[in-house]
Amino acid sequence: MSDQVSVKAAGSGQNVQQPTRRDSILDVRGLYTYFYTDLGVARALNGVTYSIPREKVLGIVGESGCGKSVTALSIMQLVQPPGRIVKGEVVLHRQNGAGPTDDVVLTDLARHGVAMRHIRGAEIAMIFQEPMSSLNPLFTIGAQIMEAILLHQGVDEAEARDRAITSLDRVGMPSPKVVVDQYPHQISGGMRQRAMIALALSCAPSLLIADEPTTALDVTTEAQILDLMRTLQQDIGMSIMFITHDLGVIAQTADEVVIMYLGRVVEQAPVDPLFYDPLHPYTRALLRSIPRIGRGIKEKLQPIRGVVPNPYSRITGCPFSPRCDSFMTGVCNVNVPGVTYLDDGRAVRCFLYSDRVEENG
Amino acid sequence: MTGYILRRLGYMLVTLVMVTIVGFVLIELPPGSYLEFHVQQLRNQGGNVTQAQIQALERRYGLNDPVYVKFWKWISGFPKGDFGESFQHQRPVSELIWDRLGYTVAISVFTLILSWSIAIVVGVYSATHRYTIPDYTITALQFAALAIPNFLLALVLMVFLQQVFGTHVGSLFSLEYRDAPWSVMKVLDLLGHLWVPVVILGVSGTAWTSRVMRANLLDVLNMQYVQTARAKGVPERTVIWKHAVRNALHPLIMTLGMSLPGIISGETVVATVLNLPTSGPIYFQALIQQDMYLAGTFLVFLSVALLIGNLIADITLAWLDPRIQYS
Amino acid sequence: MAEISDQPVHAAVDAQEVSAVGELSQSRLTWMRFRRNKLALIGGIGLIIMYIVIALGPFLAGNDRQYQNEDYLFGPATQITFTGPDGRFGLRPYIYQVTTRLDPEEFKFVFDIDRETKTPLEFFVRGDGYKLLGFIKGNVHLVGAEGDQRIYPLGADALGRDVFARLLSGGQVSLTIGLVGVALTILLGSFMGTVSGYFGGLADDVIQRVVELIMSFPTVPLWAALAAAMPPISGSFSTLDRYFLITVILSLVNWTGLSRQLRAKVMAYRESDFVMAALAAGASDLRIIFVHMMPNASSHIIVVAALSIPGMILGETALSFLGLGILPPAVSWGSMLTDAQHIPVVLEHPWLMTPGIAVIIAVLFYSFLGDALRDAADPYSI
Repeated sequence: MSDQVSVKAAGSGQNVQQPTRRDSILDVRGLYTYFYTDLGVARALNGVTYSIPREKVLGIVGESGCGKSVTALSIMQLVQPPGRIVKGEVVLHRQNGAGPTDDVVLTDLARHGVAMRHIRGAEIAMIFQEPMSSLNPLFTIGAQIMEAILLHQGVDEAEARDRAITSLDRVGMPSPKVVVDQYPHQISGGMRQRAMIALALSCAPSLLIADEPTTALDVTTEAQILDLMRTLQQDIGMSIMFITHDLGVIAQTADEVVIMYLGRVVEQAPVDPLFYDPLHPYTRALLRSIPRIGRGIKEKLQPIRGVVPNPYSRITGCPFSPRCDSFMTGVCNVNVPGVTYLDDGRAVRCFLYSDRVEENG
Repeated sequence: MTGYILRRLGYMLVTLVMVTIVGFVLIELPPGSYLEFHVQQLRNQGGNVTQAQIQALERRYGLNDPVYVKFWKWISGFPKGDFGESFQHQRPVSELIWDRLGYTVAISVFTLILSWSIAIVVGVYSATHRYTIPDYTITALQFAALAIPNFLLALVLMVFLQQVFGTHVGSLFSLEYRDAPWSVMKVLDLLGHLWVPVVILGVSGTAWTSRVMRANLLDVLNMQYVQTARAKGVPERTVIWKHAVRNALHPLIMTLGMSLPGIISGETVVATVLNLPTSGPIYFQALIQQDMYLAGTFLVFLSVALLIGNLIADITLAWLDPRIQYS
Repeated sequence: MAEISDQPVHAAVDAQEVSAVGELSQSRLTWMRFRRNKLALIGGIGLIIMYIVIALGPFLAGNDRQYQNEDYLFGPATQITFTGPDGRFGLRPYIYQVTTRLDPEEFKFVFDIDRETKTPLEFFVRGDGYKLLGFIKGNVHLVGAEGDQRIYPLGADALGRDVFARLLSGGQVSLTIGLVGVALTILLGSFMGTVSGYFGGLADDVIQRVVELIMSFPTVPLWAALAAAMPPISGSFSTLDRYFLITVILSLVNWTGLSRQLRAKVMAYRESDFVMAALAAGASDLRIIFVHMMPNASSHIIVVAALSIPGMILGETALSFLGLGILPPAVSWGSMLTDAQHIPVVLEHPWLMTPGIAVIIAVLFYSFLGDALRDAADPYSI
């Protein structure tokens, strides 16, 4: 594991080597994913870089359309045509026992090839937002979990069924032996999401990607599912990449946070420093816009001015600049700011902290 | 499940009764009667019919009875297998219909099986290979297939086969087997002739079904559970056939009920052109000549075939889809 | 470092080049997608040309459609040459003199073409009288020949009638029946479907039973039975009456599909939030149906209508072919095809099949349009 961390002071704008993360399980480096549609090119990801720390929870936050789901799909190589990963790489650091890690460049693997398919489900698992539509209505819960087990774990059907039941039990599913033979429409939303988690965990992946897993659930169920994920993560020692637009959930669940805007990472920090000392104007505006109970009635809500531009637009300069309170004419509307790495493991993309410009705009 | 079937059967019987009533009304609608037609023909040929003879015929065929009496006389014969008499052919209707209905059903069933098998494969292919040349070719063929009237296709095919192969199409059997008793050879002979009407009928049905399959599959491929299957590491082929196609088939089976009228009524028209011994030619003739018992019985039985087909489709769907409630 | 500006940055927002994609209305987006479809363009332009041509029918054709030329039974298409009597190739079209004689051995008519005698073609000649569009009287035809010679661009039929003239005249029936029928279908289907879906209860039950009953009958046999019920052409029942009754018959069977789909849509809308909001605001049933639900369902109705037209055209063609639809003296493409039923006849006189080609082309164009409309309104198209 390399300990090299070299960071120049903010403002110097010289070549800054991106610090190699200590012990990350997955690195996303300079990922560009574009969608080529009849209406134009939608630039969903414009050079996204972040690392998922091993055995921790990384939260990815942003408004709708910022690219957080697309980055998850890009990691799994599940981006469907007309979308494509245009540039960049995703590296999985596979742990082999106590020895050094295997670095697998996922973006170099064939999308439908055996290697990638083995990684999907067995090493990296993903759960989605809508539990109802994420499960095939024609097959029982058990059959769908068993499908994954039979694919990756080379056991027979009877053993696979046992493991499926164990998996359901572990996620706190009531009466797992009954549920295993039921169809998705026969169980409740919370139970469906538990089933999805059971499915994802059935092959003991080292990384779980959760794309807004609680957004479609009511608050009580959401609390239960979040608790469940935290417990499982600590028990199994799994890394989690948690995508959401809900800052409250992030505060509760994440160890580190990545803030995304219009296809770029604008800030990355551990969770406490992010909430108590946000650096990027967008992060500040997000935190400021959260309504607080207990404040005066007369206080107005503070939304972020303007609207998120649609992904077909091209914006010169920093993408957030039209809505930024700290906008600097002549600077922010000319170039896209590059990433500035700070001492405490934080990164921010803003001209307030350095003159660094993004290499390829 | 059995409760569901029984309920649907009961339902069907009620509809059947309504169908016979409506069918009879329709047949009774045209002004005039077969008798007038017949008398006119006789007169055209130079003969003459006296008033007394006309009245005797009227009494014999019950032409002057009120409508409900006629209807009752007709329908009360159903359980005995008596469907009245055909004026034109001077024989009981029951002697004329069974063979022909049998062939109609046989042709329709074969067409259904053939066209659906091809359509599903073609539909899946064109949905998974969008924007490729084969997809465009298939689309062009589908458009063409849907635009050609089936009787025209029958004509063209007849001409083509005659010119190129010298074969005489237009019957279901070769001469030697026509009146022969049923045997394996006769069945083979039938199959050899059957493909012509089956292909003609199947063309537009296949085109339509494959387009519906394509559209359904495109919808299903956008569903989240397909993505879940991929995320599990399932091979792409399995994702398409096991997860996507099975889900796309369900709305398709619902349209089975819509394919059937097209096939059955298409069969009547095509058979008229090809002069096959099925329901079509005789039915239309009967209509034009107001041979009402014959026409009415055919109409009712064609509808029966349709209702049974729909019933089978509904039961198949209920059996395959775990979401359908039986309450 | 540059100054941090205190001013609001609305100017910066305006200065950005923003794609308009997110701001277009649903109907504009649909129209944009529709326009881009090349097949729709072909279909649309093709149909416009077809309709113009048949509207100008009597003017474009040289002969009246009823005129029976006993000397030209099953006569072949008139050959046109651009070589003048002096043997030079020019721009002026000529036709040959054709004489008919009866071959005693085969007992058929034979048409001898005299290639020496050439008659020039003239434009805008006076000929048989006609009424354009039913009320504009005239007798000028686009093309004609000097003297008594008549031109048969597509040959003549069993009674010596000009196939081309009948093709154009038949087009007037075949191409308009679909439109009138579809209009009726929309009216009936929308009304029934909406009433059924919105009010539910007894009305729904009754209407649904009626729909099921109609759908229990196979289409063409049902149409045939209804058509056979019509009285024969006479003084009190003209061909126009028969034409309208046929459109009624076609739509009487066709409306069921649309009504079912609309019923499902209306039932879904009834539970939707925007209808609840309208009800809470005190809107009347009528208002909810016409102001809130119909516009949402309108794109679906239009697509279903466009897709039904081919079926109507094919339905009329089949009926007329069977002798149960349009009857003489009116003519439609289907009734023209009745003459082409017998293989030997068709083999000898292939031009009798041209109405079939016309039907195929018209249905193709409508299919292109309907398909493009459906794809344009389809939210999944990318």
